[in-house]
Amino acid sequence: MVEVLFELPMNLLGLGISALIGRFAYSGYSTVASPNLLRLTFAFFSIALGFTLIAVGLFAGEYSQAITTTGLASQALGYFFIAFSHSLKSFDLSPPKYFMLLPLAVTGFVIPGNSIEHLVRSISFILLVYVSIETMASYMQSRKTSTLMIGSGLGLLAGAELMSWYNFIYPDSFYVAALSVKVAGFGLMFIPFSKFGLANGLGRMNSQIGSGL
Amino acid sequence: MVAGYRTHVSIIADILSTARQYSYEGYDSGATVTHLIRKANVPYQRLSSIVSSLKQSGLLQEDSARYRISQKGIEFLEAYSEFKGFAETFGLKV
Repeated sequence: MVEVLFELPMNLLGLGISALIGRFAYSGYSTVASPNLLRLTFAFFSIALGFTLIAVGLFAGEYSQAITTTGLASQALGYFFIAFSHSLKSFDLSPPKYFMLLPLAVTGFVIPGNSIEHLVRSISFILLVYVSIETMASYMQSRKTSTLMIGSGLGLLAGAELMSWYNFIYPDSFYVAALSVKVAGFGLMFIPFSKFGLANGLGRMNSQIGSGL
Repeated sequence: MVAGYRTHVSIIADILSTARQYSYEGYDSGATVTHLIRKANVPYQRLSSIVSSLKQSGLLQEDSARYRISQKGIEFLEAYSEFKGFAETFGLKV
């Protein structure tokens, strides 16, 4: 019961933050038709769906594990979309560089053994580390504090996934800390976003320019 | 890391801002194709197809082979600037 009282608000907070960012990204896509904003839209709506499923999983009884794992998979898909946006920027897709990621991807399937949940968590971890490094690389170029915050937030999310994955070895050792760090990561990402989202009434959903480009 | 890569949307923004410059800032006769090619730095063939879609979308207006930005185009540029900042916080380009 105590676990539910802590987890539910944390998941709902994560859901709120990711849904807000996703909605703003969607309003950006519908206005300027940028593929990267579409990827961010998919990413954050997928993460929001993941938080929803994890919250539902708290009350699902015997199906709890399955629903939670589906939620984590949905979040991993979201992290993939963010990573996908970055890969287009950083890699020219020539075979030698592209296949450098292959060993990293394989480790995700080797480390956790037969637990699907931990498979998903390790994939999420790899994607988040990659995205965090990419964002930090962008910060080194632009020196924008907001980019540093997003990069740090993504780094915290990666740390949270690592801590959650550690539960595989020592069950329930870092679970509460992992969830707190995860929500802190989303909170850190929300700070620079709030400058855009809240100041502008969540984008231009109501004044659809509808350029059709 | 690849530097200097321009997205399709950023090229559109360059074309529209050039048209805006020649619509309001002392050059109210509108921008010629040469102006657009020079400022947006795209070849003629590509520019033609982009300008054609911009006219269809109502972002650009043509009058005697001169191009002026529309009110909708100005709103697009403002939105572009806003969402460009948003994407850049993620280290991405719009």
